[in-house]
Amino acid sequence: MQPLLSAHDLHVSYGAVKAVRGVNFEIRQGEIVAFLGANGAGKSSIMNAITGLVPTSSGQVTFEGRDITGAAPETLAPSGLTLSPEGRRVFGTLSVADNLRMGAFALNDKAALETAYKRVYDLFPILQERKDQYAGTLSGGQQQMLAVGRALMSNPRVLLLDEPSLGLAPLIVDQIFDLILKLRDQGVTLLVVEQNVAKTLQVADRAYVLVNGAVVEQGKPAELTASGTMQDAYLGAN
Amino acid sequence: MKKLLTLTTIGALLAAPSFADTLRIGAATAQTGGLAPYDAPVMEGIHIAIDEINAAGGIGGTTKIELIEKDVRSDAAQTSIAVQELVDTGVSALILPCDADPSLAAIGIVSSAEIPAISTCASSPTLPMIGGDYMFANFPGDNVQATVSAAWAQEQGHDTAYIIYSPDSQYTTMPLYFAEVFEKMGGTVLGQDTHSIGQQDFSAIATRIAALPEQPDVIMTSSYEPDFPSMLKALRSAGVTSQMIGSDGIDSPTTFSLGEAGEGVVFTTAGYAEEGSPLEAFNAKYKETTGKDSETVFNAVGYDLIKVIEAAVLAADGSTDPKALRDAIANLENVQGATSAITYKGTDGMPVRQVSLIRVKDAGREFLGSPSPDAALIPAPRMQ
Amino acid sequence: MDIFLQQTVNALALGGTYALLALGLAVVFSIMGLINFAHGELMTIAGYVLMYCGIAGVSFVVAVPLALMASVIAAVLMERIAFRPVRNGSGATMLVTSFAVAMILQVLFQNLISTRSQPVLLPAMLSDSVHIAGMVIGVNKLAAIVATIVMLVFLDWFMKHQKTGIAMRAAAEDFAVARLMGIRANTVIAGAFALSGLLAGVAAVLWVSQRASVDPLMGFMPVLKAFIAAILGGLGSLRGAVAGGFLLGFIEIYLSAFLPPEMQEFREPIGLGIVVLVLLFRPNGLIPSATLKAEKV
Repeated sequence: MQPLLSAHDLHVSYGAVKAVRGVNFEIRQGEIVAFLGANGAGKSSIMNAITGLVPTSSGQVTFEGRDITGAAPETLAPSGLTLSPEGRRVFGTLSVADNLRMGAFALNDKAALETAYKRVYDLFPILQERKDQYAGTLSGGQQQMLAVGRALMSNPRVLLLDEPSLGLAPLIVDQIFDLILKLRDQGVTLLVVEQNVAKTLQVADRAYVLVNGAVVEQGKPAELTASGTMQDAYLGAN
Repeated sequence: MKKLLTLTTIGALLAAPSFADTLRIGAATAQTGGLAPYDAPVMEGIHIAIDEINAAGGIGGTTKIELIEKDVRSDAAQTSIAVQELVDTGVSALILPCDADPSLAAIGIVSSAEIPAISTCASSPTLPMIGGDYMFANFPGDNVQATVSAAWAQEQGHDTAYIIYSPDSQYTTMPLYFAEVFEKMGGTVLGQDTHSIGQQDFSAIATRIAALPEQPDVIMTSSYEPDFPSMLKALRSAGVTSQMIGSDGIDSPTTFSLGEAGEGVVFTTAGYAEEGSPLEAFNAKYKETTGKDSETVFNAVGYDLIKVIEAAVLAADGSTDPKALRDAIANLENVQGATSAITYKGTDGMPVRQVSLIRVKDAGREFLGSPSPDAALIPAPRMQ
Repeated sequence: MDIFLQQTVNALALGGTYALLALGLAVVFSIMGLINFAHGELMTIAGYVLMYCGIAGVSFVVAVPLALMASVIAAVLMERIAFRPVRNGSGATMLVTSFAVAMILQVLFQNLISTRSQPVLLPAMLSDSVHIAGMVIGVNKLAAIVATIVMLVFLDWFMKHQKTGIAMRAAAEDFAVARLMGIRANTVIAGAFALSGLLAGVAAVLWVSQRASVDPLMGFMPVLKAFIAAILGGLGSLRGAVAGGFLLGFIEIYLSAFLPPEMQEFREPIGLGIVVLVLLFRPNGLIPSATLKAEKV
């Protein structure tokens, strides 16, 4: 089966700093795939390169068989791929409902829009309660829900989640990982970058381990835990 | 005998006016920027005069005028750069922008090169005072204009006045001269207001004047566009009905397009095209050469400037030597320009020229006369 | 006649005009970090349209919408031609570009139209005044106040309830994420310029109806005032721009009205001094933008 999203020899540089060096990955329909690695390993850079937020120096990103390398970020959401960025980055001066409305910017059909709202409000009833509130006044956990909800508004087939549990209370963290599974059940393919390795390995189907911008190992969670590469990746034993 | 004859011939040759082939004039004027509205029409008049003279074979039938132009972008520093470049090309006379400040920026170069320089239309009487021997003006002085308008106001029986001026430029302080003359003649100045150039909103001043216990008979200002129309409209809509007196800066089409608010405004300017006057003839010529009506007296003022230089060359027996030209200009009397007869003799470089009084009537000009001001009343130039 | 009340009406009218001008700058700045110094030239373009309409005998009622249209189109073209190529450049690059655009337009006006100020024929009604509650209020003052209210209500509705308006607010807060949502950068930026063009057009009509003329350099002074007002209110904040515009109007009018005569000459420095004082206590302006904060060094 052809992968839904894949990268071939992906390179990303910030000036002289090479953040991503020749990464290859493949994500298939219905999978939950995790990118693991220490800070600065290049996980978020890969996310940003996929979505066009940072330019790709070389290599290729393919989505549903189409080359999307260097595509303008605004073209991706309508085509079924979106990112819930690190740090949530909700529009604080917009109401909760307007944040969601922006998530479905390309959607003009009223009925489809209602369906999208309903799906998000069903997943996160608290957002419906607070829909007229400024997003900036929500708690961290609620903002994370809004960020994910906003991404879901465009009804993506692939959702990239960048550090969804960062800085959240343990109870909320559990909710986030439940959500990841729930979304997969709804047919969303997920690519997750997480610092919570233990929890991620519980939900992920496969994971890539990154060190200094390159993939050092990949496989099923059980294989990775067994190999010991993981410890090296986080402790910087390379 | 033969030797003697030769000597006489040489003597005769020396005595006869030896006209040069060309007179090179350098114009460093503002073709862009804030002074362009004045310098650009002046340059049109300058071109008309030069073409006319050259078509007739040149000054005295022999000396063609060659004009080298540089745009100083209404900038003082640029003026001094342009003047230096023109001096380097060996010009015999210089034309400087329509304002004392950029003109004076070039004064160091002008004085050391010893080339006479004439500002197109600066009217501050301090210009030649500060500028020295080689700096000349080409417009009725502010103090003279103010004397003419103050005398007119008195003559009309106006006893009280209010002045609105801007300390931002020499020119816009003309109302201070007006107040001086007006009080000298027995009038009372009820008060004064200042504004900045380009202020746009005059409602606060208008409201204050409207609330005065006694309304002034006249309000005098030398502010010009865009300030003047805003000021006038603000005063009128606040209910102030005093006679407005302005100066040459409002000799502009806008002043005649203000409708009801503009009617009755009186201002001093450099000339009026009476029937059969040289100005009327000039305006006809302007239309003939450019295909449009002359919108402003500044066209004719440019023509005047070249007529002054022509007269100076003739007076210097055809010499194009800058020093000889300077001396000739300083001694010119009654040179007939398009707007007026022009005299430099006996002045420090601020010419004696006619000042005309115009009243706006039915969106057109009503000529009130060209009174000669009483010399005893003319205030001394005031250094700012 | 209560002179204080009368001067307050004057301040409202002037402040409203400044608010519209500052809003025009703020709408663009909030989205792309550009202080568009060519904003004043949009006003000049609208002014010239009024002038040509007057010459052609077009009624003022028709001339005003034409002038607004012209400044909107000019603003959109300005973005497309001059600012899009430098959009990813630094703030300084964009700033210099805007100066260049302003100067090029000024020279074009001088060469293609006239260096001289051109009269604009206005309906006589605009010079009239009405008596309300013992006050004499100029019709153009009333027009300025009404136009300001209409524009502010329109803008508020547009920014809160229109998809494009909401997208502009989102983009102002986080452009990258806005793009991730599928909000097209070109649409939002062109929209911001169109709005700024509309605001410039309305301000131009009010401005020109006071001065009754247009000249090639007409735009400089208003854009300067708008800049001060926008800084005063909080650069990039729309509410701040409105607050800054009104405050600047009140400062100018009250100083002009109530400063003792011997101090009138120092009115401008005193006014700017007050602006600096306000900024000393509120370095980010009256109502700072949520996303742009000046850093204290």
